[in-house]
Amino acid sequence: MKSWEIGKRNLKEIYRNPVLLGFLLGMPLAFMLVFTTAFGGQQTGPIGLSIVDEAHTQNSSAFIQYLGATQAITLRQPIYSQESQAQNDLKDGKISFYLTIPPGFGAANQSQQTVNLQLVYEEANPMLGLQLKAIIEAVGSQFLGVAPALNVQLTAAASEISNPVVNFFFPGIAVFGLMILISTAAEIIAEDREKGFLSRMFTTPARPWDFIAGYSLPFIPVLIISALIYLGVGMGLGLTVVGNLGYAFLIFFLIGLSSIGIGMIVGSLVKSASQTGVSWIFIVPISMISGAYFSVDSVPPAVRDFAGALPFIHAIDASRAVINGASLSAIMPDMYWLVGWAVALFATGVVLFRRTMVS
Amino acid sequence: MNAIQTFKLTKEFDELVAVNAVDLAINKGELFSLLGPNGAGKTTAIRMLCCLLKPTRGTASVLGYDVVRTPFAVKDLIGVSPQETILSERLNCWENLALIGKVHGLSSNKVKERSKKLLETMGLVERAKDQVRKFSGGMKRRLSIAMALVSDPQVLFLDEPTLGLDPQARRAIWEYIATLKGNKTILLTTHYMEEADALSDRIGIIDEGRIVALGTSQELKTSTFKMRSMAVSTGNLTPEVVEDLQHRYTRLEMSRGKLKIYHQDLSFQEIVDYLHSRGVTVYSAALEQPTLEDVFIEITGKQLRE
Repeated sequence: MKSWEIGKRNLKEIYRNPVLLGFLLGMPLAFMLVFTTAFGGQQTGPIGLSIVDEAHTQNSSAFIQYLGATQAITLRQPIYSQESQAQNDLKDGKISFYLTIPPGFGAANQSQQTVNLQLVYEEANPMLGLQLKAIIEAVGSQFLGVAPALNVQLTAAASEISNPVVNFFFPGIAVFGLMILISTAAEIIAEDREKGFLSRMFTTPARPWDFIAGYSLPFIPVLIISALIYLGVGMGLGLTVVGNLGYAFLIFFLIGLSSIGIGMIVGSLVKSASQTGVSWIFIVPISMISGAYFSVDSVPPAVRDFAGALPFIHAIDASRAVINGASLSAIMPDMYWLVGWAVALFATGVVLFRRTMVS
Repeated sequence: MNAIQTFKLTKEFDELVAVNAVDLAINKGELFSLLGPNGAGKTTAIRMLCCLLKPTRGTASVLGYDVVRTPFAVKDLIGVSPQETILSERLNCWENLALIGKVHGLSSNKVKERSKKLLETMGLVERAKDQVRKFSGGMKRRLSIAMALVSDPQVLFLDEPTLGLDPQARRAIWEYIATLKGNKTILLTTHYMEEADALSDRIGIIDEGRIVALGTSQELKTSTFKMRSMAVSTGNLTPEVVEDLQHRYTRLEMSRGKLKIYHQDLSFQEIVDYLHSRGVTVYSAALEQPTLEDVFIEITGKQLRE
């Protein structure tokens, strides 16, 4: 099969090129190691706290506002009205802590009774849970004006995650690693165009489809092997896969296809292989605003909306959720984005690459 | 049927006419050279014949197959060694040859057999398992030609096959190309006149996209230069002898005791005998042959390497 021969050649050009491999595997692995070591077990900024407001009173709203004004806490949106929603999100790994303000919060406050609040934290985060309890008690007492009228009950939610820092960073960095396929695919195509290798191959009886398959399919084993290596290293660093690993692979596969598609687009449009370096201008900032290294809650809403229109944030959110135990139905909205983008980008890549064959 | 046939083949890039109404008829088994300076249109012509560029006007066919209407039939029959040495740099010789051979539909055994023979012929056996990025320019060029031959094509396009090589490597490639003559139809482009002169059955001189002269090397020289010339180095030339020579021959040039005589049907012996009879000492004398470069200059008024 002609496409197989072309694909085999491209695969050899990738795995025999230490620079390409260094970028493709070395960089994400180094990031994984650095980030998990640097941030492992330490909370560097304000602690993200979700609220379940079961009181629905002016008093509870004022208290939430008061909590939000505290520098040590970042209030996460939305404010839940039912605890079950917060429980699900905690289970899916979307949130790490939530504070439940019970019905009757306002009345208890006015009658000078002790106010009981419940702070639920992931089992893997006891230190931060205690830290947060202390903060809420201090801030709450200030708000109520009487100490110690506030009693925060600390409850650990069952969690199988042994190292939440690794579980946070792994999906983001794995997606970042697969984004590097953009640069790899673009470089192979652009270099073969620039040096005339594609022209030489166009003088052979290989058909356009042979070239399309030969220049896209070799990246799929690269994608799968990369994802496996990331996963192996992630587990070595303490990654706990609570959910379905197959879903995580499906997500990585879809984002990998999108990256290959973008790579084919870039490789077909640039004039020289050196110009494919522009893809890094895209890869690094997009991975940042997609929440690979920090929560997207901390980026401005307009930037968050922009990132939300791209597939990468959905890949990171969805893979984080399934690794932490979320079901397929919980990540379906993200999956729609991923499938849509993968099809659109891969198809566009094929069309533009096909155009390079026509003089 | 001609192996390669073009009729008013033209390629325009915006305002630039790269190939201008070229008519060619190359016989089966013939080695035909397109000789011309850089930018004359040689590579563009080859790219159209290899189905890489669509002609703006005119037609071209290879072994009866039209390059525009039946490109894959053409590609089945041709082998191409492009001007730049284009190889897959991280593959070794075997792998590069296998890639082209298998894309042409050859079986693994056939590819292996042909590759072995070609690697032996090209003197690449010892380095056959090394990645080709470590090769010298000459070795890469030899492998590039081997890649063009691995599918055993009936028509071979060699675009500047010795460009940038040292004289020794160039000569080795000439020797190999010469062995292919008669078995395959070869269209070779070059701007080295010695190359065209040494290898070709016929030569087409191309300038600014047009074929300005066509024929065998000898035909081009004799049809362009009606006169031959002879250079004579003398000791004691007198004004009388010079005057007499001017009457006898078409043109005479003199500088510091050196004579250059131009005439149709010039006879070496006749001139030497005449000079001796007039008491002139002849230190050296030689009949001069025009080169293809002289032909090119004569026809276009330009140097070949301009």
